[in-house]
Amino acid sequence: MSNRSQLLKGILDGCVLAVIEIEPVYGYELSQKLLNIGLADVSEGTIYPILLRLQKNGLIRGEMRPSDSGPNRKYYFLTEAGLEALETIKEEWKQISKPVNELLIGRREG
Amino acid sequence: MNAKQLIEDNNRKRELLTTENEEYYGDLLLYIRLKLTLSEQQSEEVLMELLDHLLDAQEAGKTAREIFGDDPKGFADAIIEHLPKEEKRKVIPFIGGIIADIIGWILVIRGGLLFILSQFTEVEVKSTVHPISTIGIALVLASFVLFTIFYIFKIIDRSLFTEKPNAKKDSIKAGLVGALGMAVVLLVVKFLPEIGPAFVFPWWVSLIVGGILLFSMYLRKKRKEE
Repeated sequence: MSNRSQLLKGILDGCVLAVIEIEPVYGYELSQKLLNIGLADVSEGTIYPILLRLQKNGLIRGEMRPSDSGPNRKYYFLTEAGLEALETIKEEWKQISKPVNELLIGRREG
Repeated sequence: MNAKQLIEDNNRKRELLTTENEEYYGDLLLYIRLKLTLSEQQSEEVLMELLDHLLDAQEAGKTAREIFGDDPKGFADAIIEHLPKEEKRKVIPFIGGIIADIIGWILVIRGGLLFILSQFTEVEVKSTVHPISTIGIALVLASFVLFTIFYIFKIIDRSLFTEKPNAKKDSIKAGLVGALGMAVVLLVVKFLPEIGPAFVFPWWVSLIVGGILLFSMYLRKKRKEE
């Protein structure tokens, strides 16, 4: 596993929640959105264990709905608890990313 | 959509997969379905999601290996880890239904056999039943059935995600276990002494009780489907 995917693993839950917060998506859509953002290191299948875990913890819920292209797909929605969890993750990320940025990138430039 | 509809949908959609993708996905599907303690509904839902995803990706020119990774077993285990267990209120009627079905068939076959045999020989004596001995035989039979099912599942489990599954060897192994187990059951039936109290259980009572049991199981199944 590359360094980058190792790093990403810890924050991937937050990324998935953030994508779902914008609008409800189904699995394939979610993976394409993550890819388009630039998170190409995650193999597409990785999202499914994550979606199951988030569901089990009550942060998202799935619902069968007709998709834009026609057939039924399982769309994921953020729950109240999910919204709260996302806020917490955002806050934590801010606290970590600032010092890490300063330490790693700041030093190289300075 | 309930599990049954999902399975039918899955069967239909799977035919759209390329041979390579079908092999990969087929193993994944069997591996997850063999985990009987998991919620069937949840298992089928995630299997359908994976299949839909694979079909979309196939359209975009990607393979199952590229999407789900080089370690299908590891991927399947990650999925299984987060699937909820089947609820007890669904498991008990399921197992109870199987047992009732088996008992129903045994009673019907017993009744039929006793009737046919009685046309040719004097089998009046044989229509007595010793409940204690019968329970003993039932326990031996049940453990044989459970062991065989468990063993066959193990064989299938091991054959998944391998380059060249040895189907012939596996069939022989499963056949041997089935034959040996059945031999044990028959020996027990033959040599178990008839102990405890006995009562007469004529062929027609056997037939009627078995028939009622099977018919009510059939009604229950019909009602569940509606």
